[in-house]
Amino acid sequence: MTIRWTIRIVLFLILGTVCVHACKKSDHGGGAPTPLSFVIPSGFPDPAYTFATNPLTEQGFQLGRKLFYDGRLSRDGNFPCASCHQQFAAFATFDHNFSHGFNNQFTTRNAPPLFNVVWQKQTHWDGGILNLEVQPLAPLTAPNEMAEDINNVINKLSQDAGYKQLFKAAYGDETINSQRMLLALTQFVGSLVSADSKYDRVKKGMASFAQDEQMGYTIFQSKCTGCHAEPLFTDNSFRNTGLAADPTINDKGRMRITNNKADSLKFKVPSLRNLYVTFPYGHDGRFSSVNQALEHYNSGVQVSTTVDPLVKNGIPLSTNDKIYLQAFLRTLTDSTFIKNPRFAAPE
Amino acid sequence: MQRNLRYITRYASILILFLLFIAVVVSCQKEIKFAPEEQADHNVVLRFKPVVQYDSVEMKFDTVTYKNFFKEPFTVSAFKFYIHGIELINTDSNKTYPVGFKKYFLIDFADTNSLKLKLTVLPYKYNRIAFMLGVDSSDNVSGAQTGALDPAKGMFWEWKTGYVMAKLEGKSPVSSGPANVFQYHIGGFTQAESVIKRITLLFPFGESVDMQPGSTTEINITADAYDWFNSPHDIRITTHSGIMSTGALAQQVAENYSKMFTVVEIIND
Repeated sequence: MTIRWTIRIVLFLILGTVCVHACKKSDHGGGAPTPLSFVIPSGFPDPAYTFATNPLTEQGFQLGRKLFYDGRLSRDGNFPCASCHQQFAAFATFDHNFSHGFNNQFTTRNAPPLFNVVWQKQTHWDGGILNLEVQPLAPLTAPNEMAEDINNVINKLSQDAGYKQLFKAAYGDETINSQRMLLALTQFVGSLVSADSKYDRVKKGMASFAQDEQMGYTIFQSKCTGCHAEPLFTDNSFRNTGLAADPTINDKGRMRITNNKADSLKFKVPSLRNLYVTFPYGHDGRFSSVNQALEHYNSGVQVSTTVDPLVKNGIPLSTNDKIYLQAFLRTLTDSTFIKNPRFAAPE
Repeated sequence: MQRNLRYITRYASILILFLLFIAVVVSCQKEIKFAPEEQADHNVVLRFKPVVQYDSVEMKFDTVTYKNFFKEPFTVSAFKFYIHGIELINTDSNKTYPVGFKKYFLIDFADTNSLKLKLTVLPYKYNRIAFMLGVDSSDNVSGAQTGALDPAKGMFWEWKTGYVMAKLEGKSPVSSGPANVFQYHIGGFTQAESVIKRITLLFPFGESVDMQPGSTTEINITADAYDWFNSPHDIRITTHSGIMSTGALAQQVAENYSKMFTVVEIIND
């Protein structure tokens, strides 16, 4: 009797094992990609982009990282995403009001830094991009930026055996298409989270502000958070801060997207995190120092029909206020982020 | 009695093992369809043909010069549009049946493979066809897509999220554009700027077509480039060599071209 039951149980186990293996059809050849979890820093709101339909994996991230640093995404090979988005500048272009693109051309706007982008409902200074995944298409095809064609890029990548392996590792097979390229880029760019500045450590009780930083923080909270709301230091709204339009560019900002006159000269409120490594400032990079930008709010606001109510009478700032504010704003630099080897160019 | 019980136990355990085996095998067959097909579907083939003004003459790219309502001469170098949400309708019973419902099709007259759509529908008598011309608002903002909506198809605005839903390009001596080109890229998905149109087309002579299980019906539809330029809105190439942004003008063109389709022929076998 015992023997009979033993045989039955053994048979059952063998059968079970066979069937379970038969079910795993997709796992043959190469391991499944390693899932990564996206960690929301403490105090941060829920992100607008959640990776729900683009599951974050180590292989997807690494593929995106390679693409981000690859000049082949541009027409002449010289302009990878990283040419305008440099890590040491928190992925903005350091010391350039306008970045350089294909054939010695200038861009018409100051390259925004790339961090905490998953908290942006819309990207670009004018909010023209409504889903993070399709953002890379804009610089990739703009004639004064990377000046390429999507199909050309896919062809170039398809001829590279290394890429075939990377796409297979990330997605299970060697197919290279625009969707996979964009999803991988989004995994890399979306993973660029900056939340380890001195300010963040103070908030967690791991550090404390110096006296001038604390005074600056108090001024900041009373005069600046109407637009630069904590903890992202932007409310992601579009506002006219009273910058007269440059007649050579004549950039109407948000109006270009909405065709609505009420949006004329409105641009997205930029985050102030990593401010000191992203200079110059403003949508056209017209301010070469934080002090100049602060002075604009104190004395330089140009009143027009769409100027924001919060700045239309200026924001009075004394010399001391500006000194304290700058002391505080320096605490927003995240040196861990700008040196994180995980975000650097792949070997 | 003891013996009977033993038999019962043995058979019961064999039966359980057998049932388990069946259960495991069945659960492995993910593709299996438990619900039998209601009945054989009816095959529908949609064919699109480009024309200019005359439904019987196929439009030729680049080589033939046509004239619009305003006597402006033009040639065509690109003519394409998105459709989805195809339905066959019987107006007597008010019944509507979806055909390839979730799928988008880019009808590109330069790509003959895109002009013939093979679909299936529930067998029934139908007297009209309807479809959406354009890309639904949610599909404009749902990120990187593939298939007909792949941005590599050249129907996606890179700097301002959204699909070009219909495109007509060509040359005209009256165009003020570079090299006399005219380019109409029509898009807009927000409520205020929507160019998405539902097109309903009556079958020729309002005839009901009996679509039997397993048989095939070919529905030939023309799309007329002539209709882009007038009625109800005057769109002169002289005035507009490029329409490439969303807004009122794009909506006017969409209103014009929303009547460009005609079901010219139905072949029911």
